[in-house]
Amino acid sequence: MTSLVSARNVSKFYGSVRAVDDVSFDIEKGKITGLIGPNGAGKTTLLKAVLGLTDCQGSLSVLGLDPFRQRKELMQNICFIADVAVLPRWIRVTQLLDFIEAVHPRFSRSRAEELLSRTKVRRDAKVRELSKGMVTQFHLSIITAIDAKLLVLDEPTLGLDIIFRKEFYGNLLNDYFDGERTILITTHQVEEIENLLTDIMFIDDGKIILDASMGDLPERYVELLASGENAEEARQLNPIYEREVFGKKVLMFEGVSRDRLQGMGEVRTPDVADLFVAKVKGAAA
Amino acid sequence: MIKGQIALIRRELWEHRSIYVAPLVIALLLSLFSVMGQVTVSGLDHAKEALDIGIIGATNLSEDKRSAILTGLMVSLSVPLMLSMWILTIFYSLDSLYAERKDRSILFWRSIPSTDFETVLSKLLTALLIIPLITFAVIAATHVVVLLITSIWLGARGANAWHLIWTAVPLFDNWSATLVFILALPLWLSPFVGWFLFVSAYTKRSPFLVAFLPIAVLPLLERIFFNTSATAEAFFVRSFKIPLFPGWENFYSVFQEGGHLHMVEGAPLSLWSLIDLGNFLRSPGLWIGLVVCGLFTTAAIYVRRYRDDS
Repeated sequence: MTSLVSARNVSKFYGSVRAVDDVSFDIEKGKITGLIGPNGAGKTTLLKAVLGLTDCQGSLSVLGLDPFRQRKELMQNICFIADVAVLPRWIRVTQLLDFIEAVHPRFSRSRAEELLSRTKVRRDAKVRELSKGMVTQFHLSIITAIDAKLLVLDEPTLGLDIIFRKEFYGNLLNDYFDGERTILITTHQVEEIENLLTDIMFIDDGKIILDASMGDLPERYVELLASGENAEEARQLNPIYEREVFGKKVLMFEGVSRDRLQGMGEVRTPDVADLFVAKVKGAAA
Repeated sequence: MIKGQIALIRRELWEHRSIYVAPLVIALLLSLFSVMGQVTVSGLDHAKEALDIGIIGATNLSEDKRSAILTGLMVSLSVPLMLSMWILTIFYSLDSLYAERKDRSILFWRSIPSTDFETVLSKLLTALLIIPLITFAVIAATHVVVLLITSIWLGARGANAWHLIWTAVPLFDNWSATLVFILALPLWLSPFVGWFLFVSAYTKRSPFLVAFLPIAVLPLLERIFFNTSATAEAFFVRSFKIPLFPGWENFYSVFQEGGHLHMVEGAPLSLWSLIDLGNFLRSPGLWIGLVVCGLFTTAAIYVRRYRDDS
């Protein structure tokens, strides 16, 4: 397996504030990795470091390049959507296509035109005349038409309604992802993307608190719905987190086998969102 | 690199349409004024005779004198456009690195494979080269349009416009001199352009104020505390002393004596003969200015690259 992104002891300070704190991870080719974290956890800072938009300490290699010092080479093989408001509002759709065609060696105009023809985005419209959802469709069409090795999405669907959000991720999977490309994505709305992720990283307070493949989650984490004595018994097994739903206790365990919990109640694999809350609250406790 | 620069400069023209709209509007106004002026003058009954006498008088002038009058007409059309060019350059360079941060599109532009150096360079080239070239094209077109309008008007009054205008008009002389001047002026004022780019990249708000406050306040402070005027000299006096026209004073001699045309012996008739390009290129002020411009531009690149606006 080849690592597209390799971070070793990466830190980033803003004054005395440590936004990213001694982080190490690898992202392999062909993966769709979700970077999940609460506001101010350091997600965006980490992405900026990966994109070469900010300098950092430690060793960070993206596609074998130093992102900050070799940003131009990097940008030929990376695409990113930082969030929906970011396309210049004064530009016309055709102008932006002309521009990218001229400066991006890996951009396919015909592919972008094909993708755009499926949307209601008018070629002669200015970006300011498009709805927020259409701007995102437009941006995604551009990105999809670039033959990039790594796509970085930072809250790409922020402020969009549910229909556009579903469509966005549908298009991302169908048009963009082909098993060769790699995606790194952050979002608040974990539940919307958990089905498309292959890997997941949780970040909190500048530290990575979980780095796992989605396939490993059922083995590592298990949730038990129990009540009364059963809950009391299960508590002896050191749950990492406990909450209450409709009078029943929901206990989450890490590294406890399912067999061990059989008979105490309903055993299931936790949702990513619940796991996230458990890890963050657990880390804080 | 060159293909990328062309794309980046085209981008500037898309964003800042005033670069060509403003001179076109002024050119249109100048042409309209000339039509209106001629129609108004023709409509004045008591002026008709004087007008016809004037035209006859002009017909009898030597070609040199007609050429000098036409040069005066062309220069008077060029001047408003050159003034607007400089105002445009100020606003453009102050906006060029500020707008992309204000509308938050900078992250998009930085996701494109162009370096910060290439991007800032495209803005510097737009200010120093593209705006002047576009302005020059508009000036030349305005000359032709106004001369054509005048020819039609003269023709309608029964005069021989071909003889009066087109055999005498020193188009090439005027245009070559105008082009050299219009390209030299931004280079001479380039320290200001560099400073504006830097402010545009640096300031969090009101680039105009931030750029002009030091230019206004520094000479004042210097006067108060040191009772000297070196900054005032550098900012204001230097700006008007472009060493391109050592022969400028002689030019007025063509038009002196209460508006009556009076040819001074040996006075230069051509604009081009006023220009001393060698003198301009040899002047240390030009090169010091370009170095200052380069330093400010480098600082602007540095700020765009290293500032983290999150």
